[in-house]
Amino acid sequence: MAGTIVADTLTHSTAGSIATNYVVNGSAKAWVNFNGTGTIATRDSLNVASLTDNGTGNYSNNLTNSMSAANFSSFAGGDVNNANDDVRRNIRLFRIETSLVKVVCGYNANSNTKEDWTNVYTSIFGDLA
Amino acid sequence: MQTPDFKGTHLFDRLCWAKENLDGVQSDYRVVYEDSVDECAKILVPDPNWMACALQGGILPPVWVYHELAKDEAQPDFKKHTRGYLLHTTEPMPAMTEEEAIEYLIMKDVPQHVWTDWNTGNKPKMVICRKEQLPSTREWRNAWKITDNLTATDIAA
Repeated sequence: MAGTIVADTLTHSTAGSIATNYVVNGSAKAWVNFNGTGTIATRDSLNVASLTDNGTGNYSNNLTNSMSAANFSSFAGGDVNNANDDVRRNIRLFRIETSLVKVVCGYNANSNTKEDWTNVYTSIFGDLA
Repeated sequence: MQTPDFKGTHLFDRLCWAKENLDGVQSDYRVVYEDSVDECAKILVPDPNWMACALQGGILPPVWVYHELAKDEAQPDFKKHTRGYLLHTTEPMPAMTEEEAIEYLIMKDVPQHVWTDWNTGNKPKMVICRKEQLPSTREWRNAWKITDNLTATDIAA
């Protein structure tokens, strides 16, 4: 591919060196920022083919380039709306397959109540298939 | 913009190229489907960057590649994909229309048991619609079902 530089190490003039496998292995392989309210919609993403709205506060991220195994690492965050800083709100990831991550958002003050969030963020780290 | 010759290029590199060079395309199409009688209707929403890749052509692998990988993953002793190269070495799909892209996405991301016999029961298990045709609020979202009153025209529309 044009513009390719093959290097195992990057060296800064004063700050030291880093092996490029840190960059390759440590970069997110997929991420998405979406609005989980109304007709859910992606704001921006990388390596995501589609979202599935599974119900209130329950979404799937479907990947374009699958991960090599289902033991990759993924993280999610977000907010019910831009002004809410209630820390009792929670977001969880479950049912992770090589091309699918499910994420649920909710309010857990006294019950297991899922709710739609305005801002949902997911990122995935690991090896690509 | 002309797509570079990507055959043999890692799919992730192609997606990075697309992210840098193509504008996202927000599709108005949504796919509503029911894959379990115990659960509410689900709604598939195409990703804008993915849709841009589909319309551009020369980036995405054929959908059968995903089916092959899904077969591997369904094996009880599956640990890791050993045929991931199919994503990267198979001749990429040519440019699709938006409608063809939605069909591709259904076959990729909707459970196979839904789209293979979507219209054989008492009512359709899957409907392609415009997002304006969905309820405007999410009230009672967990009780949403595909209506029993769909006509042939509705289904064809």
